[in-house]
Amino acid sequence: MTAALHADSVADRQVARDPNPITVIAFMVKRSLLRIRRIPAAFLPSLAMPVFQLVAFGGAFAGALAYAKINHALDWYVPLSCMQGAAFGAMGLAFATVNDLQTGFFDRLRMSPGGRAAMVYGPLTASMVRAIIPLVIVSVVGFIGGAALPGGVLGLLTLAIAALGIAFCASGFGLGLAFRMRTLAAATLTQFAIFFALFLSTAQMPLDFIQGWVKPIARINPMTNVLRLAREGFLGQVTWHDTWGGLLALGILSLLTTVYAVRGLRSFDR
Amino acid sequence: MTLAVTPDTVPEPLHVHLHQSAIRQTLALARRSLLGRLRQPAVLAPSFVFPLFFAALSASSYSRVKNAPGFPKVDSFLQFGLAAAIMQGAFFGATSAAADLAVDIEQGFWERLMASPVRRTSIVIGRLMSSFVIGALQSAVFIGILAVFGVRIRSGPIGVLVIVLSASLVSLAMSTLMSTFAIKTGSPEVVQGMFPLVFVMMFLSSTFMARELMNGWFRRVVDINPISYLAEGIRGFVIERPLTGWRFFEALAIPAIGCVLALGLCLRALRRRLAQM
Repeated sequence: MTAALHADSVADRQVARDPNPITVIAFMVKRSLLRIRRIPAAFLPSLAMPVFQLVAFGGAFAGALAYAKINHALDWYVPLSCMQGAAFGAMGLAFATVNDLQTGFFDRLRMSPGGRAAMVYGPLTASMVRAIIPLVIVSVVGFIGGAALPGGVLGLLTLAIAALGIAFCASGFGLGLAFRMRTLAAATLTQFAIFFALFLSTAQMPLDFIQGWVKPIARINPMTNVLRLAREGFLGQVTWHDTWGGLLALGILSLLTTVYAVRGLRSFDR
Repeated sequence: MTLAVTPDTVPEPLHVHLHQSAIRQTLALARRSLLGRLRQPAVLAPSFVFPLFFAALSASSYSRVKNAPGFPKVDSFLQFGLAAAIMQGAFFGATSAAADLAVDIEQGFWERLMASPVRRTSIVIGRLMSSFVIGALQSAVFIGILAVFGVRIRSGPIGVLVIVLSASLVSLAMSTLMSTFAIKTGSPEVVQGMFPLVFVMMFLSSTFMARELMNGWFRRVVDINPISYLAEGIRGFVIERPLTGWRFFEALAIPAIGCVLALGLCLRALRRRLAQM
């Protein structure tokens, strides 16, 4: 009995001294998900707005897209709305981080033996887990509305990679800003950045149909490649030609935003 | 003697005095509200910047759509998009004006005004007048900026005047409607939270795209949405040369009716709030 108690306390002390970073990240993800249940008003807009946008854009711009030879507007807008929902869900994490910074909870996290890495990778992982919710809901609404998926399971996979990848990047950017600014303005700026990055691409029309100042921006905007990756299964078969650009863009953006978040945390520590 | 004194003292001079006083109070409160909004460029800026950004974005993205069968005859998509910019500006501005009113209520300034010897209706109308002026200013700025990029108003100077007046009325109507929620709840969050709903209504109309290119259930919703007629009324003066009575009705009468209806709701909300105080 005594031996068992002794063994337990040693094990507890070991956990307290050297917690597994993956366990800490898992707890942070769980906390983030619990937050959705506790404060649904903070998460619901990131669900409601993409669904609304899907319906409104699908109706209002169907004729414009038909002129661009895209016969079903939802095939064009489901991936866009999924990505927007995922990105805005990640922006909610920037809000939550600012809240933690302002209430002092983040200072307690810093003093805990969880390790610095978990403070960045926890929210980044949480953003991808949270992104699954708008991804599923927007897709289901789209399919009910008549969206087609000729790319099949691979098409769903490329959509999921694009949406979760964008959630990761938006979260990294939002965290980096939150650590540096420490005010709610960080979340607002994240929102603007996501909005401009998405809409200055092929969000509304195919590249061939865009004319004027947006075209050169859309051509070099990495979001154009990511949107191509997300849409390819909805517009036809999944091909490597339409995939690699999106994967490369997501890889580079993920790396840059992670470095931005980690360096933001370091500047916060200083 | 009595006959000579009575007309000079009561009741006419008092009535005139009260009337003039109500106008002065309304104008003073309108000035305060207008200055308050102009002194917060950070709050006012989105209602100028976002509509212009959307207009520029749409002009580039949908430029080729102007050649689609059924699309109205326009010089450019930017010309088509001017009405959308004006409508967005009015809706953005209305929300921030109503949110200001809710802030006044939340912070207790409203109650101090209510306790002062100022007419209740002057307090509400004074604040709403600033929306009317901001609406005119916004539309004039949008017309001026888009003119630099080649957008011309086909209906000429009369058309410009009607567009500015229509924008002011739309701004006033929306501001009055949103103020009703501000007075009812006294919460800036609730007022700001109403904006997505307003935005939904705008997207479920022909504000951003020609009705001729829509079909199915969406077209039916757009057909019954009064915002479609407001936008098309303003757009008519931008892209059409002969001025028709229907366009005047859409651009001026519909927002004017909206103002009257919204003012009725707003004053009712005010009476209810006063009854609770």
